[in-house]
Amino acid sequence: MALVNPTTMGASEPHTSREWHVAVDADGAVTAPGSPASLDGRQGSRTETIQLLTPEGERAEHPDYPLELTADEVKDLYRDLVLVRRIDTEAIALQRQGELGIWASLLGQEAAQVGSGRALGSRDMAFPTYREHGVAWCRGLDPIKLLELFRGVSHGGWDPAAHRFHLYTIVIGSQTLHATGYAMGIQRDGAVGENGEAVIVYFGDGATSQGDVNEAFIWASVFNAPVVFFCQNNQWAISEPLERQSRIPLYQRASGFGFPGMRVDGNDVFACLAVTRKAMQAAREGQGPTLIEAFTYRMGAHTTTDDPSRYRLASELEAWKLKDPIERVKAYLVRTGSANASFFEGVDEEADQLGRRVRKSCLEMPDPRPLAIFENVYAEPSTLLDAEREQYAAYLDSFAGEAPR
Amino acid sequence: MTQRREFRLPDVGEGLTEADIVTWRVKPGDQVTINQIIVDIETAKAVVELPCPYEGVVSGLLVAEGETVDVGTPIIAVDVAGDVAGGTGPAASPAADSAAGPAAGPAVHPAAGPTVHPAAGPAIDPAAIAAAGPRPSAKDLVPPPPAEERQAVLVGYGVKLGATTRRPRKAAADTRPADGASSRADAMNGSRPASVLAKPPVRKLARELGIDLAGLAGTGPAGSITRDDVQRAAHGPVAPAAGRADRGREERIRVRGVRKHTAAAVASSAFTAPHVTEFLQVEVDATVQAVARLRELPEFAGLRVSPLLLVARALLIAVRRHPMINSTWDEAAQEIVVKHYVNLGIAAATERGLVVPTIKDADALSLPALARALADLSATAREGRSSPADLSGGTITITNVGVFGVDAGTPILTPPEAAILAFGQIKDAPWVVDGQLAVRKVTTLSLSFDHRIVDGDLGSAVLRDLGEMLHDPLRMLAWG
Amino acid sequence: MTIMTLSKALNEGLRKALENDPKVLVMGEDVGKLGGVFRVTDRLQKDFGETRVIDTPLAESGIIGTAIGLALRGYRPVCEIQFDGFVYPAFDQIVSQLAKLRMRSRGFVTVPVTIRIPCGGGIGAVEHHSESPEALFAHTAGLRVVACANSADAYAMIQQSIACDDPVIFFEPKRRYWDKSEVDTAAELAAALPMGRARTVLEGTDVTVLCYGPMVRTCVESAVAARAEGRSVEVIDLRSLSPLDLGAICSSVRRTGRCVVVHEAPVTGGLGAEIAARVTEECFYHLESPVLRVGGFSTPYPPSRLEEDYLPDLDRVLDAVDRTFAC
Repeated sequence: MALVNPTTMGASEPHTSREWHVAVDADGAVTAPGSPASLDGRQGSRTETIQLLTPEGERAEHPDYPLELTADEVKDLYRDLVLVRRIDTEAIALQRQGELGIWASLLGQEAAQVGSGRALGSRDMAFPTYREHGVAWCRGLDPIKLLELFRGVSHGGWDPAAHRFHLYTIVIGSQTLHATGYAMGIQRDGAVGENGEAVIVYFGDGATSQGDVNEAFIWASVFNAPVVFFCQNNQWAISEPLERQSRIPLYQRASGFGFPGMRVDGNDVFACLAVTRKAMQAAREGQGPTLIEAFTYRMGAHTTTDDPSRYRLASELEAWKLKDPIERVKAYLVRTGSANASFFEGVDEEADQLGRRVRKSCLEMPDPRPLAIFENVYAEPSTLLDAEREQYAAYLDSFAGEAPR
Repeated sequence: MTQRREFRLPDVGEGLTEADIVTWRVKPGDQVTINQIIVDIETAKAVVELPCPYEGVVSGLLVAEGETVDVGTPIIAVDVAGDVAGGTGPAASPAADSAAGPAAGPAVHPAAGPTVHPAAGPAIDPAAIAAAGPRPSAKDLVPPPPAEERQAVLVGYGVKLGATTRRPRKAAADTRPADGASSRADAMNGSRPASVLAKPPVRKLARELGIDLAGLAGTGPAGSITRDDVQRAAHGPVAPAAGRADRGREERIRVRGVRKHTAAAVASSAFTAPHVTEFLQVEVDATVQAVARLRELPEFAGLRVSPLLLVARALLIAVRRHPMINSTWDEAAQEIVVKHYVNLGIAAATERGLVVPTIKDADALSLPALARALADLSATAREGRSSPADLSGGTITITNVGVFGVDAGTPILTPPEAAILAFGQIKDAPWVVDGQLAVRKVTTLSLSFDHRIVDGDLGSAVLRDLGEMLHDPLRMLAWG
Repeated sequence: MTIMTLSKALNEGLRKALENDPKVLVMGEDVGKLGGVFRVTDRLQKDFGETRVIDTPLAESGIIGTAIGLALRGYRPVCEIQFDGFVYPAFDQIVSQLAKLRMRSRGFVTVPVTIRIPCGGGIGAVEHHSESPEALFAHTAGLRVVACANSADAYAMIQQSIACDDPVIFFEPKRRYWDKSEVDTAAELAAALPMGRARTVLEGTDVTVLCYGPMVRTCVESAVAARAEGRSVEVIDLRSLSPLDLGAICSSVRRTGRCVVVHEAPVTGGLGAEIAARVTEECFYHLESPVLRVGGFSTPYPPSRLEEDYLPDLDRVLDAVDRTFAC
């Protein structure tokens, strides 16, 4: 199925120049310009995408990833997916109502995040970008902390150690190096082994072009660091499609650096769970890094300030709606008789409650005090900052009446 | 109990400043829930659905379909039940929530809070000013478009429009200078700085006017010397403000200007240099006759010749004979600085007080020139026109107390000089000549000197020489 | 004369540059199809094609590095760094290569690269979208650094920067992108104020306020408010941060005797420090008070709910003006 088919983009200019853009598939076969097939994980090429749950809700098997889930476990995953989506849609609405400055929606990527998030051990460490609200959920971070960031009350402000979930990193790709270094620390602590610790780091397709990410691949590979690189390939980096970042399927980059890579259906929570579990275990046991490419789609805009209709077709969106991550789990539950109507209603009700709680917390969120600007800049006292703080406090005090805020 | 809330067109993130209302999905009277899609708006390229922030009943659609509205314009009013959690969010900003009447709705962008202060003066368009070229005129200050609380910019909440008037400060607003200056000022309390404080332009002015800043008492912050202080030292005070007059038993006269300067100088002098004064009565008939004779000479035509002229000349000759009296005690260097020139100060009483203008290099002047200088100097001083240069740099002083009708005094040295001669009135008095009583013109010379430099020996020698020269002016020819 | 937003003025200026010189290229993330996240490059790819208006991979150092290469080959690339806080991956290419190539080659190599960077805060954004890194670049010899503050200057200066044979860091005040003012698109570029010159925006006699970029409007608003208090404030838009137009600056300070520098960047080590040192050195005997600086605190840029406290505003500017009179 066509990801991006420039020839069907209509009267507007093709958004990629085909002059120098020759597609090379997994076997090195060259595909002539004009044919999009080689870029697609499904058709024509040897690219394998691991899938354990079809869009229609049927179980599929893969020899490398045996997965047994109880009905309750599947229901829990379903619940996670629904609640995570609900947080996201509530946040978008809040932004549209002016309560948040911006929101980066994960719509469509719930399975990639919940699947991988639930694959983590309690002592594993996760390094997100700025869109991993689903992983934050799995790690037990209160969603309101994320809203604080997007509301402008803080830059995050949670303790990474408390939830084993690092702060959001907005500069693209930087966190891959942090994660790799952290993994190198795990090695030095001797925490590698069956009961060891591992790191997972999240980044997008666009990030794979950044120098930092490639440096992280090098370091992780030469040092055999216990880190899993989880790339959510949602096909778009703002307005730039995947082919602007890579000529080949992203998971294949790993082989160039000398570690395993695989592509998983990013809308398949079972596959994401199974593949991540295995990769994390391998890392824990000292087998080094893995690159997991979760092939998914950014159903929403890059952020609420973006308008995707300016650069992608509605038809593409429609096609991906048919692969919705939540629908297929629901279908599976129904198909297997694992859940009844009251379960689904219960989850919806819980989602509504969560939405209301998020909304209320957001609206009631106090603004930080002005002098908070001077806090937490340094570990050691700073005479310069102390003086600035005093001066500013005196300045504020010199006004008659309340500040217009 | 319901409250009317208005939802304003938000910035949906494309930097739009306006949008078209395409389709209303609700109508007045409809029940609406939070996040229910209530309207489709059209931006530059896409139709965006807006979710409702309130739960309640639609009381009015404020904009019609097809209309274009600016971001921030209220588009729908909803009657919300009772005490709904403030749409403006932060409990810490009650101002935002205080209902200023039913029309008060939550701002779309809560950080904006209440609208910015309305400009007290004419509203301006700074961008227009900035673009209006190098010399914008008042007409370039055009009012801005209708105020939006925040201007959409594509990323983030958008730009909060700046205030155009100042927030009022408290009455005792602290307008301390920059930190460094104030802490220096604090450090100064209780100890005089070694060097003089004056701002660069004041120093420049002082240099131009020939004023020595070290001799001035500063009236500026931290005891610094102000432009006014220098000007006063140079020209005398500006319009003296009336001192606060106490009706009744006391009168207060503000100390300023020359008097202040003099006070400082004499106080400094009196308490620094140990003064000794010696007196000598001299019979000066010959001087008086000489003065009369000089007046007839053509070289002195039009010039004022007085005994003071000959006293001055005598002192100059005495200095040549006894250079030590024309010197300065340099405490810091522990040296006595003997001057090889004489800047002769003539104390003058003026309306403003005592001033001591000087004749520079008086020892090099001919007698007529000296006469002229004396005359000019007195006239200038009386008129208050002595320049700062005139008033500084003296090396020895004469004070003519005779004009006050007194015989002698104990003059105080003009700092940093070593000697000062007071010259009393010339009057007829009994005098012994060749053992017989006679009536002669007699005057008293009082010489005060700095005992650190001049001891009794020297002082007496100088006084005797002066007496000799005034008793017999031909001595001046012999010694000059 | 047309009234247009600053963003549109940049767009028009870029368009003119692309029309006038076939060697001019525009490159950056999302500049082509999308027209830029602030629409500054809107429709340029449509009209000039993908060969000349390039959507690049997501790598700032890659953008600048390849631009250097294109320049070596005779092109005039105009790069966009999407936000100020994202320029740092490219910092090495800029300071180690772009700034030094002319000297390294003893003048044989010309690298006429223009790097456009939307800068400054006050837009309620998340981290890295509100920075003011101009001092870092002004401190780097070999680069020219400019900042436009209004539509007319944006239109002219972007063209001047592209035409300039030196590498230019071109700062755009993102919070002013939507401010409208007049632009004469028919005027000859040669008639525009040269790129290295400052512009007196408001004349005054009591104090000289120096500013650039997003602070120009703030300072103009402050000056107007000061009039109500009987203070005559002269506002100068520096425009050129490297080199500084010291002639204009000193001539004004010698007249007024007082100087305040305003910028969003933190005061410590900011451009105001350089200006203050120069002014003190050259106008010492004309200064009634020390040169004061108004800027951000010595902290990282705060969360957006605190940025109104952090950024200089009318009250802070006038407080500094007051302090120059308290000495």
